[in-house]
Amino acid sequence: MNWKLIIKVIGILLSIEAGLMAVCMLVGFCYGECFYPFVWPTLGTCAVCLLCRLLGRNAPSSMSRKDGYLVVTLSWIAFSLAGMFPFLLSGSLPDVASAFFETMSGFTSTGATVIDNCDAQPHSILMWRSLSQWIGGIGIIFFTIAILPAFGVGEVKLFAAEATGPMHNKVHPRISVTAKWIGSVYLLLTALCIVSLLVCGMDVFDAVNYSFVTTATGGFGTHSAMLHEVFHSPAIEYVLSFFMFISGVNYTLIYYTILRGHIRRFFHDAELRCFIIIFCSITLVCTLALLSERTDFAGLTIQDLPEFFSTLELSFRESLFTVLSLQTTTGLASCDYTTWPIMLMPPLLFVMFAGACSGSTSGGFKCVRWSIIFRFVRNELRRILHPRAVLPVRMNGQVIQPQVIHTLFAFVALFTGSLFIGAFVLAFFGVSPDAPREIFDYEDALGLAMSSLSNVGPAMGYYGPAHSWAILTPLAKWVCSALMLVGRLEIFPVLVLFTRSFWKR
Amino acid sequence: MKIIIAGAGAVGTHLARLLSKENMDVVLIDPDEDKLSKVNNDLDIMAIPIEPTSLSGLEHAGVEDADLFIAVTPHESKNLLCAALAKKLGAKRTVARIDNYEYMKPENRQYFTELGIESLIYPELLAAKEIADSAQFSWVRQMWVFGEQKDLVLLSVKMHDNHPVADKEIGNPDNLLVGHTLKEIGQKHGHAFHVVAIKRRSETVMPYGDEMILPRDLVFFMANREDIATIRHLSGKDDYPQVRRALIIGGGKLSVRADWELPDSMSLKIVEPSLERCEQLGKMTKERTLIINGESHDMDLLNDEGFGQLEAFIALTPNDEENILACVAARRKGVRKTIAQVENLDFLDMAEDLDVGTVINKKQIAASHIYRMLLKSDVDTMKMLTVADADVAEFVVKRGSRVTKSTVMKLGLPRGVNLGGMIRDGRAMLVGGETQLQEGDRVVVFCMAGMLKRLDRYFK
Repeated sequence: MNWKLIIKVIGILLSIEAGLMAVCMLVGFCYGECFYPFVWPTLGTCAVCLLCRLLGRNAPSSMSRKDGYLVVTLSWIAFSLAGMFPFLLSGSLPDVASAFFETMSGFTSTGATVIDNCDAQPHSILMWRSLSQWIGGIGIIFFTIAILPAFGVGEVKLFAAEATGPMHNKVHPRISVTAKWIGSVYLLLTALCIVSLLVCGMDVFDAVNYSFVTTATGGFGTHSAMLHEVFHSPAIEYVLSFFMFISGVNYTLIYYTILRGHIRRFFHDAELRCFIIIFCSITLVCTLALLSERTDFAGLTIQDLPEFFSTLELSFRESLFTVLSLQTTTGLASCDYTTWPIMLMPPLLFVMFAGACSGSTSGGFKCVRWSIIFRFVRNELRRILHPRAVLPVRMNGQVIQPQVIHTLFAFVALFTGSLFIGAFVLAFFGVSPDAPREIFDYEDALGLAMSSLSNVGPAMGYYGPAHSWAILTPLAKWVCSALMLVGRLEIFPVLVLFTRSFWKR
Repeated sequence: MKIIIAGAGAVGTHLARLLSKENMDVVLIDPDEDKLSKVNNDLDIMAIPIEPTSLSGLEHAGVEDADLFIAVTPHESKNLLCAALAKKLGAKRTVARIDNYEYMKPENRQYFTELGIESLIYPELLAAKEIADSAQFSWVRQMWVFGEQKDLVLLSVKMHDNHPVADKEIGNPDNLLVGHTLKEIGQKHGHAFHVVAIKRRSETVMPYGDEMILPRDLVFFMANREDIATIRHLSGKDDYPQVRRALIIGGGKLSVRADWELPDSMSLKIVEPSLERCEQLGKMTKERTLIINGESHDMDLLNDEGFGQLEAFIALTPNDEENILACVAARRKGVRKTIAQVENLDFLDMAEDLDVGTVINKKQIAASHIYRMLLKSDVDTMKMLTVADADVAEFVVKRGSRVTKSTVMKLGLPRGVNLGGMIRDGRAMLVGGETQLQEGDRVVVFCMAGMLKRLDRYFK
């Protein structure tokens, strides 16, 4: 283990965080708020950076595979540890467990919050939450791969550790250039989103914050209430829906479509099709269910038609926004979906689990895996009829190696395993035992675990978009933080650290 | 610079490794996905599983904006075909590896240029030339030449213990360098050469004036061609005989080429275990060569063939271990010059430690040859070779760059960097502390691995 190099890399990464904190300090200064909660963390983080650089000077520049995995996990933890101090110092959050939870929720672009009333928070704190999601969304490491080569550090190993998922295709022979292109796509989307929101009439601060959390598929808002109640603007909801959808698409694909003009490729991508099929069908189901609940079809007359259409539009808008928000694991809410008919809960739970495309900022299981599993199962059925057929699993015209499928099934096992273990622990220690049954149920435990692991944000039941998670016990917050980290890094890079052979010489 | 390499074999992967470290955009193509996945996990390159001769595949690899296309698959005809296709599809420069001496002949060059293949490389021929060179300078481990006139040379010489006084009367010359610091050597023997690096065991030292040369060091000298004799004398190598009798074990393609490259005056024997191959060799080699059918590890046979009286022993079997061991055995028997082919790069250091003598590695030779070709094309600086752990690079001094501002001593170059020599107006010169560099000088720099990037700002 090349500890010197690991420390050096984490030092370099933390300097980014110090820069972000300085930005928030500036925001606080501009709004005339008390910005001292950011002064000490900024200086402290800088000091830690310098210390790391000092300890890691003259580090041998060869990074092994193990070092890469360790750096990825450690950097997320280090970021969250350093990033929780503004919350603690400003008094927004009283205890370490909550502050760590909030920061981890930021850097993993989850969006679950333990702050009850966001509107009462200073601008600097709100900005800090959004920025943490924005930087976490693109992946701290991936963002830095563009910077690290200047320090002569093994970016290949970091890329292998960070860019998980069954398949990754580079847009350029060199990783650092690939990272720069992907970074530019991200910046472009964010900028477009800011502009669109401004056009729709949002004020600058909200527009910037909502754009950051939307392109990062994070979901921290600057207001605790539902979006519709705050802005009363269908346009904003449609704009956000659109950007949530785009942020859920593989960034490599966006790069080829926008910057290289390969439009055909966009519509022929198997994973994207899978994503579109899932969200369209569930949106349709939700729209119809909401519509049938809200209108009395038997007594419908010609005069009621305008009202019928406005209900239809409302149902469609709410369904679209909610399904996209949950599937891309953003977690913004335009309405409280937990009040919807009970039959819609399983589909919503499913889209939370399903996730959007690989190579995007979203979390969850990811459509590429569904797509592969679907093809694999179809092949197995075909094999029953044609026992001697040679049936390779193809995707986008490429044959998928059996090794990828083995890894995929291991992933399924680990994902569901983590989900259930998380749910068990939460069911035991979720809230203090004397809490009423309405506040905590076994379904809620499952919802919380699912929401954390998939990096969604809001969960089911009481823990939907209407309430924060502040009521959870400290232990439950730590467990949720761990689940978020595991889910964000797609399980393997974290779990591999707990194997004996990882630490053996 | 975008470079496409076709064929993820030994040469292809080695090149990909070297070029990606130089921040080139490398695309490696090969139909075999297993081979690619091995490389893809370690290197910063794009690996695409496609057949190099497929047109759509080449387009997918982005051949239209490639600056260089290198075809190094195991098949000669495939290399020629895909290089020609790449040229037609827009690659700026193409290189194909070939396996046929005829194609290398200057009079046939035009056929290939017409096909769109600018350069051909024939690793076996390059290796054979290196074998021939090093057999002629038997006291030198390895030699590199720079400049158009080829008069700036880099030599590596192994320092041996001085013989006890009793032996001196027999006529063993003294090594006048061992036990002295570089400053002393400079004062005593003048500045005819420059010690640019010392390899001590497995560690490379960039020497300063107070560094002492120790027995068993491998010393790298940079000198003008005329001063080679001085180095030979000072290193106590005057007693190395001229090579008149040499023996090659292994009768592969490289042996045949080496046979052609070695001078006619040399008596040469090739030992090859397969009778069938021996018969073929008989037709392919020069007349003076004696083909012997037998196992290369058969000591009785080798002794019969005058193992002890040889001046040079060359081990070119396909088996690295056998080559290394055979050379060690030959040294024990008193052969002064031994050359071993070692294809496994991981063995190179070990071979150095075991005192095998000159080590030939086709991959490295082919790779550094392609490097030099790149140097000639349009890149200002280029690492050319890796010697020990050090990089040797040639920099062209630009107008107004930092190095032209003061003498070398006052530049404050980082530690671990050594300016060896330079070529000014086509003439070779050594670079000393008082030298003032000028625009247009080509400076040969010796530096520790990874220091090259830091040097850039001095030359730009």
